[in-house]
Amino acid sequence: MMLACAAVLCGMQDPHLAAVLASESRRTATVERCSAAVCSVMSMDSPGGGSGVVFDPAGFVLTNFHVVGQPDKDYKRPEPPQPPEAVLAAWRTAHANAPAGAEEQFQKEWQEAWVEDHLPRGAAHYKNKKVGLPDGQLYEGEVLGIDPGSDLAVLRLLPKTPGQTWPAIQFGDSDQLLVGETVFAMGNPFLLATDFTPTVTFGIVSGTHRYQEGQGQRMLVYPDCIQVDAAVNPGNSGGPLFNEAGEIVGINGRISIGDRGRVNVGVGFAISSNQIKNFLGDLLAGRHAEHGTLDMSAWFMNSGAGAARRRGVFVQQLFRDSIVATAGVGLGDEILTFNGTEVRSANQLATLVGVMPAGTFVSLSFRPKLDNETWGDERLVHVELTKLDTGSSRDGVGAEARLASRNNRRLAAQAIVQRWSVLGAPGMASEWVVTDPSGVATRAICDGKRLRLEIGPLVLVRQSKDDGFAVENGAARELSVEERARLERELLCNPLLWPRGNWRDRFANAELLGGVNVYGAPAYRLALPGDGECEAWVRADGTPAGCTFRDPLRRAKVEWFVGEKSLRLVVDDKVEMGWSAAALRQGLVDEAWFRRP
Amino acid sequence: MHKHLLFAFSFASVLTAQSQDFGKAYSFEERKPRTRVEQVIDQRLPSIVKVHGASGLATISAYATGIIVSKQGHILTLDQVMIQKDRTRVVLYDGSVHQAQLLPEEPRFGVRLLKIDPALVNGELQPVWPPAEAEAKFRTGQFVVSLGNSFRLAEFSEKVSATFGVVVGRANTALRYRMADVKYDGDLILTDACNNPGQFGGGLFTLDGRWIGLNMKLLDSKETNTMVSAAIPTRDLLPYLEEHVLGKHTAEAVVNKPAPWTGIVLFERAGLQSPPAYVDRVITGSPADTLGLRPDDLVVRINDYSIRTCREFREVLGRFAAGETVQVTWKRGTKVQQASMVLASEPKK
Repeated sequence: MMLACAAVLCGMQDPHLAAVLASESRRTATVERCSAAVCSVMSMDSPGGGSGVVFDPAGFVLTNFHVVGQPDKDYKRPEPPQPPEAVLAAWRTAHANAPAGAEEQFQKEWQEAWVEDHLPRGAAHYKNKKVGLPDGQLYEGEVLGIDPGSDLAVLRLLPKTPGQTWPAIQFGDSDQLLVGETVFAMGNPFLLATDFTPTVTFGIVSGTHRYQEGQGQRMLVYPDCIQVDAAVNPGNSGGPLFNEAGEIVGINGRISIGDRGRVNVGVGFAISSNQIKNFLGDLLAGRHAEHGTLDMSAWFMNSGAGAARRRGVFVQQLFRDSIVATAGVGLGDEILTFNGTEVRSANQLATLVGVMPAGTFVSLSFRPKLDNETWGDERLVHVELTKLDTGSSRDGVGAEARLASRNNRRLAAQAIVQRWSVLGAPGMASEWVVTDPSGVATRAICDGKRLRLEIGPLVLVRQSKDDGFAVENGAARELSVEERARLERELLCNPLLWPRGNWRDRFANAELLGGVNVYGAPAYRLALPGDGECEAWVRADGTPAGCTFRDPLRRAKVEWFVGEKSLRLVVDDKVEMGWSAAALRQGLVDEAWFRRP
Repeated sequence: MHKHLLFAFSFASVLTAQSQDFGKAYSFEERKPRTRVEQVIDQRLPSIVKVHGASGLATISAYATGIIVSKQGHILTLDQVMIQKDRTRVVLYDGSVHQAQLLPEEPRFGVRLLKIDPALVNGELQPVWPPAEAEAKFRTGQFVVSLGNSFRLAEFSEKVSATFGVVVGRANTALRYRMADVKYDGDLILTDACNNPGQFGGGLFTLDGRWIGLNMKLLDSKETNTMVSAAIPTRDLLPYLEEHVLGKHTAEAVVNKPAPWTGIVLFERAGLQSPPAYVDRVITGSPADTLGLRPDDLVVRINDYSIRTCREFREVLGRFAAGETVQVTWKRGTKVQQASMVLASEPKK
């Protein structure tokens, strides 16, 4: 009967009705596709729970940090097993005349490698979660990275069959959201669905770039969040907010409540996807992501008197040893821009800063307050954001810092690599020219296997692993040990030099170590096996963003941050100003580049 | 990259330097609105202002929303405790802050006009009024967008919140005055577009951009402990706006209305909780006397308002002015009678 009615109505060819029906069927199709990736996240041993979303087919799930709960106090690190008999037998055959104690040493190393492969680093450990998916299956989810600063955590689903993949949804661009735009919230409010079919609520974007101060015991701050009027209730926490195209634009985490108790009043907040992208590298690598802060507080207010009186954002509190104070910012100074964006309110400044990871280099322009209640000329400073204390437990530093097991780091690296589109063709060469502060250019030419570096008048060429030469003052000579090591390391990990043919092969054994912010945009730190702390930095779409390695020539750790037309060099954690990148080209290989004169 | 460069430049983690491309945390350049909802919000947001008052009492928020109703700087908002002379500020769409002057309130609806100096405004104010009366029409089921600063989430030039829903119906509060604490006794627009503290005084708009209502505070039912979002229909506010914005004096001017008098003295004795509205005495020559009311009659209804107690009798009477005609229903013994009464002013003693 219903179908017949619909047919009659369609037969009338009312264009408005047809448009409504078409829009509705698009919406239901989007909801059906998105539903498959929305999950319930529950504790193993206590009632209650939240929601999550699979954002990668390898089984990586985003949820709220507050859904993950507290660290497991009773956690004891498992002891590594003995090497299997077959492994020992093989070793004995290969080392028939080994001295006494060598086998014990081998066993110890094997166990250390096992620990690194299978166990995460760091002091705090979170219990595995129960994750229910709309396929009706319950999976175990391992807690990888946490980000208390934006209330996020990443879980990894443990496969029931080797190589299992899951339906996953891509991230959208939350900066494209407009107030009034249609959005869907999905999740498992009040744990209504016992078969894990998500609840869908529909609404509009009520506000963008909202700043929400810290709430709750852990003072979770929500900088740059999306306000929605779609119903968001307890249990929706950690669930996705989708745009009309069915992309993840946020993670629902918090609601404003009136005087009606802890239920929806039409004011929900989602952590924006663009903020999530800034921390995804650290989250996938199993780290404790740290948010940046300027270590000062500024208010929007009137300041000064008479003709000098002005309205703006003024520094009100400042530690004497804070990064901004060291850079020359003082009490009463007027903040003008942050990273080139005009600062219009204190909320906005907090939002701009709050979405950046600690360690990000940012620019700040301000007018210093003078003694006579007036302000001086505008000044621009560059500072490195320090860590925001989110009140959560620290997970160690250095080698003790929270980090996923090596197996998970490799899995995460592969998940990232799979998203790249392979550009260009093999047989091409890359040419990259950079200029140092004194104006001396360095030209690097690489065909993927061979590398030629022209550092001013000095030429270094690597022909193969064992062959190479240098040309100095017009005369050819052999490479020094340091020069050879430098060529090897740069070839191994500088993605700017690689022709874009076989990128995936180069990362076959890569490990994800975390995220890095390069000129305001996030990139992944992919460690490559070998000496020299080599890391290639690549953006989510597969474009190179820089690299780091221990440079044998400079005897220092160098980090190359590569922007579109900019280059920042950090040597042993100190910025070296004045570098610039001139050109990055792809072309045909000229054999003469690598020929010994 | 160069050995010799190790010595070429001084190192510092913090340096004053030439302008560099540091990227942007997020972009402020927004895309153009595409859907009707996006367009209406984009069109009407510049007419919505944030209203800040003196710091409120314990449970009364010191912020609300207002709607620009004239290019001369008239702003309509809900009349609240927070609104105080010399302490009320208005924040326009561009983030500029203006001192507001208070115009006479409209007690029947609980709304008030504010006035800012248009000479101090950047550019021209964008009023939502005057619409023709026909434009303020609304129908149940119609899509609406509600704009207002809920929970004071937006500061300065940040955009106020927008919520979306339908008109779920109209309600005559006269029938429900006992359930909900509402002074206003006309029709209300009920909507499922969420309305929260701070959003009160904001506007309700249709998808073709027409202004149909002023968000009022949540209708709160004391009996069922439930709430619903409501708005005062624009068309009911027109006489007030015409009088104070356009300077037209209409016959229905309701400000400073004379208090009504019936001549009924109710039977109230100390110690009796919620005494029913029994007539104790009737003043000779009063409207009640004209009607023929007598001691021991029980007043049960005035117009659509049912009366259970002496207190309710006074409350209901306060909704009318001298000169108005009301239907009074009373019970004498087992018989119910009804008649029209012309309310008078209390004679001077």
